[in-house]
Amino acid sequence: MSIMDIIKKRRSIRSFEEREVDDEVLTKLIEAGVWAPSGGNAQTWVFIAVKDPQRIERIKAISPGMFGTPAALIVVCQDKKAAYEKGGELGRDTVSVMDAAMATQNILLEATARGLGSCPILSFHKGGLKRLLKLPEHIVPELIISLGYPAEAPKPPERKFAEVYFLEEYSGGK
Amino acid sequence: VENKGTATEKEIFNLICYMITSARNLVEETKMYGPFRLIDASSRLIEILEKEDLSSSFLDKVRDSIENNKYKVVTDKDGFIRFLDDLVLMMVEELEKGG
Repeated sequence: MSIMDIIKKRRSIRSFEEREVDDEVLTKLIEAGVWAPSGGNAQTWVFIAVKDPQRIERIKAISPGMFGTPAALIVVCQDKKAAYEKGGELGRDTVSVMDAAMATQNILLEATARGLGSCPILSFHKGGLKRLLKLPEHIVPELIISLGYPAEAPKPPERKFAEVYFLEEYSGGK
Repeated sequence: VENKGTATEKEIFNLICYMITSARNLVEETKMYGPFRLIDASSRLIEILEKEDLSSSFLDKVRDSIENNKYKVVTDKDGFIRFLDDLVLMMVEELEKGG
């Protein structure tokens, strides 16, 4: 599959088969994450893989954006103390969030290439998740990725192209 | 209802967690997620009732309709609102049957 095929194949999956995701696969997904670009090469992200069904159930209870029963989660966090030391307020408040998003996309694409379904989730309670994962104050969860073998094949929503692509200069509505 | 109780008690406890967390997160989340969370909570409640054999063919139909339409919230906002309107009318029809 070409990279474009994988990009177009990725869907947000909210229904999963009852099938485990191997540790080796999770390691590869996180490897894809750490190869993402980061502002000023900060690399201040932290990735937590969760496979314990009881822990997943508890995380799901405080994550309204999580659907189905995922076999695994990857929680993409940022070390805000390190991000501030490397990039100041901009690094801590903006760049680190973008870095987490770019790492997440790498993980989603690697998951798709391996036949896994995934869904990035922002709707969760940060304080509650920090407690469930025993995160210290400066490690902040930015996104949860739910993972598992897909039990559905949703149709892709329509994409706009002509309306959002401009060459050289913007010529859309004001 | 306890988190350490039966499977059903756990599911109810988790549903309450879901609703409380939703209440908090909706303070900042997009407005349309409010109706989505409420309708999704309804579906989750009916699912629990089904497992306990406390649902009905009508409520099962309601749940099917929710599951088939709830994600329109992110793909077809107008369709999502039409679905909610239809669902309310379906509930009214059932209310009237109750006399």
